[in-house]
Amino acid sequence: MCSCGEPRRGWRRCTPSPMLLLSLLLSTAPFGFLGEETRQVSLEVPGWPDSPQNLLHIQAVGTNSTLHYVWSTLGPPAVVLVATNTSHSVLHINWTRLLSPEPEGGLTVLPMESVQFSSALIFTRLLEFDGVSEATAKPPGKPYPSYSLAEFSWNNITNSLHPDTLSATFQGHPKDDPTGAFANGSLAFRVQAFARSGRPARPPRLLHTADTCQLEVTLVGASPRGNRSLFGIEVATLGRGPDCGRIQEQHSIDDEYAPAVFQLDQLLLGSVPSGFVQWRPVAFSQEQAGRASALSCQASPLHPTLAHSLPQSPVVQAFFGLQQNYCTFSLTFGASTGPGYWDQRYLSWSMLLGVGPPPVDALSPLILGIMAVALGTPGLVLLGGGLVLLLRRKHSSEYQSIN
Amino acid sequence: MEEEEEEARALLAGGPDQPRSGAPAASGAPSALCDPGRLAHRLVVLLLMCLLGFGSYFCYDNPAALQSQVQRDMKVNTTKFMLLYAWYSWPNVVLCFLGGFLIDRVFGIRWGAIIFTCFVCVGQVIFALGGIFNAFWLMELGRFVFGIGGESLAVAQNTYAVSWFKGKELNLVFGLQLSMARIGSTVNMNLMGWLYSKIEASLGSAGPTTLGVTLLLGGMTCILSLCCAFALAYLDQRAERILHKDQGKTGEVIKLTDIKDFSLPLWLIFIICVCYYVVVFPFIGLGKVFFIEKFGFSSQTASAVNSVVYVISAPMSPLFGLLVDKTGKNIIWVLCAVTTTLVSHMMLAFTAWNPWIAMCLLGLAYSLLACALWPMVAFLVPEHQLGTAYGFMQSIQNLGLAIISIIAGMILDTRGYLFLEVFFIGCVSLALLSVVLLYLVNHARGGNLNYSTRQREEMKLSHTE
Repeated sequence: MCSCGEPRRGWRRCTPSPMLLLSLLLSTAPFGFLGEETRQVSLEVPGWPDSPQNLLHIQAVGTNSTLHYVWSTLGPPAVVLVATNTSHSVLHINWTRLLSPEPEGGLTVLPMESVQFSSALIFTRLLEFDGVSEATAKPPGKPYPSYSLAEFSWNNITNSLHPDTLSATFQGHPKDDPTGAFANGSLAFRVQAFARSGRPARPPRLLHTADTCQLEVTLVGASPRGNRSLFGIEVATLGRGPDCGRIQEQHSIDDEYAPAVFQLDQLLLGSVPSGFVQWRPVAFSQEQAGRASALSCQASPLHPTLAHSLPQSPVVQAFFGLQQNYCTFSLTFGASTGPGYWDQRYLSWSMLLGVGPPPVDALSPLILGIMAVALGTPGLVLLGGGLVLLLRRKHSSEYQSIN
Repeated sequence: MEEEEEEARALLAGGPDQPRSGAPAASGAPSALCDPGRLAHRLVVLLLMCLLGFGSYFCYDNPAALQSQVQRDMKVNTTKFMLLYAWYSWPNVVLCFLGGFLIDRVFGIRWGAIIFTCFVCVGQVIFALGGIFNAFWLMELGRFVFGIGGESLAVAQNTYAVSWFKGKELNLVFGLQLSMARIGSTVNMNLMGWLYSKIEASLGSAGPTTLGVTLLLGGMTCILSLCCAFALAYLDQRAERILHKDQGKTGEVIKLTDIKDFSLPLWLIFIICVCYYVVVFPFIGLGKVFFIEKFGFSSQTASAVNSVVYVISAPMSPLFGLLVDKTGKNIIWVLCAVTTTLVSHMMLAFTAWNPWIAMCLLGLAYSLLACALWPMVAFLVPEHQLGTAYGFMQSIQNLGLAIISIIAGMILDTRGYLFLEVFFIGCVSLALLSVVLLYLVNHARGGNLNYSTRQREEMKLSHTE
């Protein structure tokens, strides 16, 4: 609902603008990339029965564009996002190359000239902080050793593939677990694609279009290393240009779909046409996600990172070749007081990944209807009643002339 | 006996406000203070009367000042939190009718004030114990007991005022009592959050015990009120002995059958009353966290913004009272107040403008409405039905507050602040609709609700001729 220009450091207030009116008009359905309202979405797990079944290819075909999402847990969980300007592009996987120590060229989208935009996102580490550190320590607190997500072993996703909801879940736990922290726990990445725009029922109810897919990261059952541990996740994107840009914090007046969350964070991956990552800075500590279990989510600023300090993703290397520059940021969930992971050993956070202009929330028709009635009715009654009184007075004044 | 005779002689010797000739000032001052007929003594009584209600108003808004702490320590959602306000209002749905009866026929004003203040104290203590024992049901019980005493104590306070002050002084006294009450609310908003953090620092951790201790400390103001109640009872009894004046009475006669005689304009006024107050008090109850979450204010600043309505109401109520007295035209003032409230809530809902502006507007509107709305009842209802009309108005006001507090909590948990504000805007719009209808009905029937003061005086003169 706000037009925020360049994002500034820290919190900033926005005022409503002409965008408010425009979004009121567009409140029925936002338009996607290149105006595609619906897409034909198909999910496949390429490979053969003996191959590691942890690569998911989502193909969303529109009238004259196609989006390819390649989600994989070969190495750390990562996604390669490719947008083409034809409805006939295909993904070609060279498995021998992909599974070799030098995977460059193992993943291509043909025809190569049709590729309009491509980017990648890697989830590199699961972080843990000691929430009950002294007040002098910087939040979130003293970090425990992080879990590298490249050292996790992941499930076979063909069992968790649901074509009806267009979703699949990657579930993993550390390969080496000396302390048994993940004995009864797992980290899950649930990917869901969409054929048209809509809003899920589950908080934070991010508005999605046909050009987006949603990722829900869930940590369940893992034993924390402290009494009040705060968890976090580190995310890396491909570095483009000299600086890494910033996470835009958009403040709005509308918290209908995520109660008490007035902010929407987004990160643009590249320039027009560009991809984006969008999320609400909130996580939930109960499966019944609601206001009572909402945790705040802090994002660190993006900082440039060199490839050697990050776990490498074969899929990203296969498509983009050897990359030296990445931009990483980390998200921390919760605070030392209030609800937290320790309540039910559950944490979930959602984000949207897509291409084109990010979806903009608009006021729901219910609110617009209530406002129209609330503001209109007294005015109409005043007008109507005033008219009636005027007419009555004119009528009665005619009689007064008679003796 | 001798002591009394001496005092009576001293009274007869000196005039009401004349200094004693020849007597040194030192001996004059104490006897003026001790003389119930003299102004100095009545000022002391006025101070005690104002402090009588301080504790009750201070503790009424304790939940609002400590909302995040209560929700976090007792692990309750907003719906259950708002029950703390609902339970305060439930007993007053019935007690509004009984307050006058209890004071006039059962307890008398002196014992009545003491008993009600005891309820206030005990209620606050039970409320605090609910925190210490980590039992939310005990907190709700405490608020219920607190509610039994709170509103009836206001009736007792007013009765004391009428008994000790007459004529033009009475309006000033009512104004001062109201201002003192609002000061109590303001101090609560700004103090309790800070007090909680200090207790947390000294006890070492946050939790239900910290909350309970904070509430107990806040309850000391109720002990102050109880002392004032005892002092007033003593002074009132002494004045009765010396001045031979009767114990004060409310003079209210409640006949529930009178309700069928209420006219349409009066019912519209009732609707305005209910719909208006439910967008002020529950909003303030939930306001602190609203300002923290939407505008990013710190806890201290959010409390300060939340208390602006009361801060403004303290000085502006007497001023607006004067304004409405001088100009009349009550319906127009009510219309202004309701429209200003609508604008204020729309600002808070649909813009991110500085909330200080919206809350100042809300404070002005709230003060104006109180001064313009309640006197209209007296224009519409004969004097022997006035007690019933006011009692009924307060009863349904409390009923509305109780129900809407819970609904507001539920809306907030499921739909968020924007929807809550839109709900409040809907209620204000209903009040606005009622004001518009009231204006039209009054105009159509040639009623006198919207007369200017001059017209009203001309009417009075023409009636006496």
